[in-house]
Amino acid sequence: MSIFESLLNTFETGSGFWNPIVWLVVILIVFLIIHILRGFGNKNYKVDTEQTKPFLSGNPEYSKEKMHIKGSNLYWGFTESLKWIFDNLNKMHTGNTSDYVLWFVIIISVLFLVVGLI
Amino acid sequence: MDLAVVTQAALITIIGAIGVTIFGIVFGLFYKGIDRKLSAHMQGRIGPPLKQPFLDVIKLFTKENIVPENAISWIFNLVPLIGLVTTISILLYLPIAGFDPLLYNKGDLILILYLLIIPSLSMVIGGFSSGSPYTTIGAQREMATMIAYEFPLAIIIISIAWKLSIDGVSNVFSLSSIIAAPIWSTVGPLGFIGFIILLLSLIIVTPAELSKIPFDSPEAETEIAGGILAEYSGRNLAMFYLTDGVKTIVMASLIVALFFPYNLSPLLGLESYFAFSIDIIFYLIKVFLVILFSVTLIRVAIARLKIDQIVYTYWVPLTLLSLVGLICIMWDQTIMTNFGLEPLFEMIGLI
Repeated sequence: MSIFESLLNTFETGSGFWNPIVWLVVILIVFLIIHILRGFGNKNYKVDTEQTKPFLSGNPEYSKEKMHIKGSNLYWGFTESLKWIFDNLNKMHTGNTSDYVLWFVIIISVLFLVVGLI
Repeated sequence: MDLAVVTQAALITIIGAIGVTIFGIVFGLFYKGIDRKLSAHMQGRIGPPLKQPFLDVIKLFTKENIVPENAISWIFNLVPLIGLVTTISILLYLPIAGFDPLLYNKGDLILILYLLIIPSLSMVIGGFSSGSPYTTIGAQREMATMIAYEFPLAIIIISIAWKLSIDGVSNVFSLSSIIAAPIWSTVGPLGFIGFIILLLSLIIVTPAELSKIPFDSPEAETEIAGGILAEYSGRNLAMFYLTDGVKTIVMASLIVALFFPYNLSPLLGLESYFAFSIDIIFYLIKVFLVILFSVTLIRVAIARLKIDQIVYTYWVPLTLLSLVGLICIMWDQTIMTNFGLEPLFEMIGLI
């Protein structure tokens, strides 16, 4: 089988399958069509004018450092809604080695029980 | 491999890609018009004409395409294109208008799930690359929303695939296998309830996939001035507008393929062109009904949720609901198979 033919083959994992080459061809064709369609649009704007300032509802723009949104805020909504879980997990992390060993023993014994029963 | 076969396959792919692009854009905008008209009527307004989305796109094409001074311009300009192109590519893997997917043996449901992430990711990248606090907050919210709805969505897809694998269907993630063995015909009463629950969950996942009210906090016009899209204008905004329309068709077609893959023509005993026409019309009606329930009704009836409420909705009640659906299908397999309907009716005193 030549390299060309093997590339045309569909990857199969036993339950899933896909062909990256065909997908790339499709993407390329659709990209061309959409690029041509987009070309009909107006591409001009007034560079270095008020127009290019970020929209801040009329508020002044502070320095980049002050306006920057930190990485710790990235998952805010996510951590906020699951706070009750994180708080409990935090409580478990006491930093005391004997507590961690106790958890280890508890979980191993539960696992043995489950494996033994099933 | 024969060169003629490869050439034929390439030609089908090229023509299919062109056809699907036109179909996706035209019907995406058309359904957007219907959605706007219907939601207006539900709120006691007259609403815009059906052609309004087409006029909107034309208007956006004539407007200036502003690139903010803080933006990373090449990413800012590229991501709207990537979002639209990927969304259109999904249509080639979905059964449309009663026909098998054009690339039915070239990609499966798992691929569709991954491709569905790319338009949302492109919006996130566009938001971060815009260099404005509003867009950054919008992008951050979109990321949290994505993590939220992927969990119940995965449970729904896995439940369907698991049921098909138990029934001995080969290639359980292949959409042509799924439409060949409609799920409703393979289950008992408990499994039927299970699939109803999964359908309900998927209908609630859809507005978040499409960033519609009540799950539109990444855009939230009244709060963060359009969020992710705050800095986008002109033809770039038109690309996102078209992506929204095409993605609506994609999600509706996915629900139709998974839950309502039936065609009218075999029932009416039709053949040839009559059969094609009836099936196309029937498919368009099914897509309309899915959009009506999963987009229009929900967005008119419910107010916008906060981002932490969105994450909670998907990770706790909806995930539990999907798991209940999965358990119903599993019990249907065990209880109904082992005992059957009659002993069950006897047990509850009906016989």
